[in-house]
Amino acid sequence: MSNPAAPASAPASPPATPGGTGTALRIGIAGIAATAVGGWISGAHIVATSWLVGISFWTAIAIGMLLLVLIHHIFDAMWSTVIRRQFEHALAAFKWLALLFLPLLLVTWFGHRDTIWPWMNPGHLMLPKGVTVGQDMVYAKKSGFLNLRALSIATAAFFAVWVWLSARLRKASFTQDSDGDRKWTLQSRVTAGFGLPLVALTLTFAAVYWIKSLEYHWFSTMYGVWYFANCMRGAYSFGVLIMVWLLNRGDYRGIIHEDTWHSIGKMMLAFTVFWGYISFSQYFLIWNADVPEETFWYNLREYGDWKWVGMVLVFGHFLLPFLALLSYRYKVTPRIIRRIALWILGVIFIDLCWNILPAVKDGVGNPLPFFSLGLLWAVTSAVGIGGICIWAYLRSFTTTKLIPIRDPRIGECLTHHE
Amino acid sequence: MATYGLIALFETAPEIYHAAEAVRDAGYKRWDCITPMPVHGLDGAMGLRRSIVPRISIAGGITGFCTGMSMIFYMNGFDYRLVVGGKPFFSPLYAFPVSYELTILFTAFATIGGMFFLNGLTKLYHPVLKHKDIGRGMDDRFFIVIEARDPRFDAINTRALLENIGGRDITELED
Repeated sequence: MSNPAAPASAPASPPATPGGTGTALRIGIAGIAATAVGGWISGAHIVATSWLVGISFWTAIAIGMLLLVLIHHIFDAMWSTVIRRQFEHALAAFKWLALLFLPLLLVTWFGHRDTIWPWMNPGHLMLPKGVTVGQDMVYAKKSGFLNLRALSIATAAFFAVWVWLSARLRKASFTQDSDGDRKWTLQSRVTAGFGLPLVALTLTFAAVYWIKSLEYHWFSTMYGVWYFANCMRGAYSFGVLIMVWLLNRGDYRGIIHEDTWHSIGKMMLAFTVFWGYISFSQYFLIWNADVPEETFWYNLREYGDWKWVGMVLVFGHFLLPFLALLSYRYKVTPRIIRRIALWILGVIFIDLCWNILPAVKDGVGNPLPFFSLGLLWAVTSAVGIGGICIWAYLRSFTTTKLIPIRDPRIGECLTHHE
Repeated sequence: MATYGLIALFETAPEIYHAAEAVRDAGYKRWDCITPMPVHGLDGAMGLRRSIVPRISIAGGITGFCTGMSMIFYMNGFDYRLVVGGKPFFSPLYAFPVSYELTILFTAFATIGGMFFLNGLTKLYHPVLKHKDIGRGMDDRFFIVIEARDPRFDAINTRALLENIGGRDITELED
């Protein structure tokens, strides 16, 4: 079987260099610098926790895109062939994300052990009971899993897996552009076969190690799935932003159709419901069982203005996008779906704040309010890390053709249901 | 016998596609295409709008959600108050699983029911079945049927239109 020739309208040359590459890098550096300044103003504990929000936000989007490429290959999918290439470009961000995660490990190794994760320091006082981590039976039982060396090795392994899988998928896809060999497609299918369980496990453990362990007494089997839901929603939403950008630039004209928008919109709707389902399940089971070992995590998040943040999540992260995405017209109108995508990215950020920032406590063990300096540093972190990620994407963007022009499925994809 | 309408035969998918565009542009509303396989874009060529089934679905969904919530509110919060696990008599939280199950159930009923209501299936009889070659409409031929109850229908002009757009074997169907 030979590759179907792509229609003449498909661009055969690499796309024009986007103007924003340098700007993205400058914004990234400015954001990181602003966050560093925050270190002097608010102290390392607050800023490092906020940095964790920023890094887990962009890592979620990158993991989601990696999953989308893997899922595309495992199902031998058709409609996502053209936008898969943009996800592959975005995977270039993983090595920078690994680099940007490094400060959190360095500050823990060489600064205060409990700068971010309280259980790293045996002398850390657990409020309000007043016992230290070292005297805490719960920690003693979990210390085989929760210790600095385990977290460092695990984090290195997570990024190694993600960078390695990304490199494999990118090489296979980019090489196929020049030699048109179908073996690359088959190789990527094999990569997807072992890559999907690997990514599923690594992202679950990453969510547990980085975020859930901030309250190490607490446990929820939904946690990895919760992070996964945000990964997928972030990746689809960011994918929509890329699609609208490329359509407005003219690159995607005649390449994506109403059905492409409809397909990605349906997936956004599906994962909106999925997020709602698992988040409600987590809350509902804990509410129903009503045991203090679990409920304290939600009690912290009903303190002060965090209660309203939780309400924003219920209605803004689930109900509003759900109702908006039910509409066919909204899904296939680029201007409107772009707004929905931006909204979803915004609430994912708030969701991560809601999960991470209450770990920063005041003198009596209550979380600092949502509207405090920690939020500002979370924003500067997200801007800084985002600038670097987008810079990495744009730098990769110009190196290959706009679409995988010799992919076996490209002909079908370009005439999606037409 | 009353006339049901006129039926014309077309040989290929492109032919019926362009013929459908012409019938649409002539302003006919009560007519249909018979094709052996889905012809992509034919809905647009026929000027069909999107189905209203999704609206029936959401009406069903909202009904289901409200049914679940109000049923549990009535039973646990009003009719037979019972303390279970130290929870309030009524909370939307524990009513939620039932409500959303009913949302799904009623949405499914409304979608299936609405679909059958709108398309009129199942039909045991249809006038086009009298056409001698209608079996080929499920095999290798395409047909356009224009119904006599369409306000623009006219035995002579409509026949002329079908001839102009390349329809062959134009036959009058009886009701």
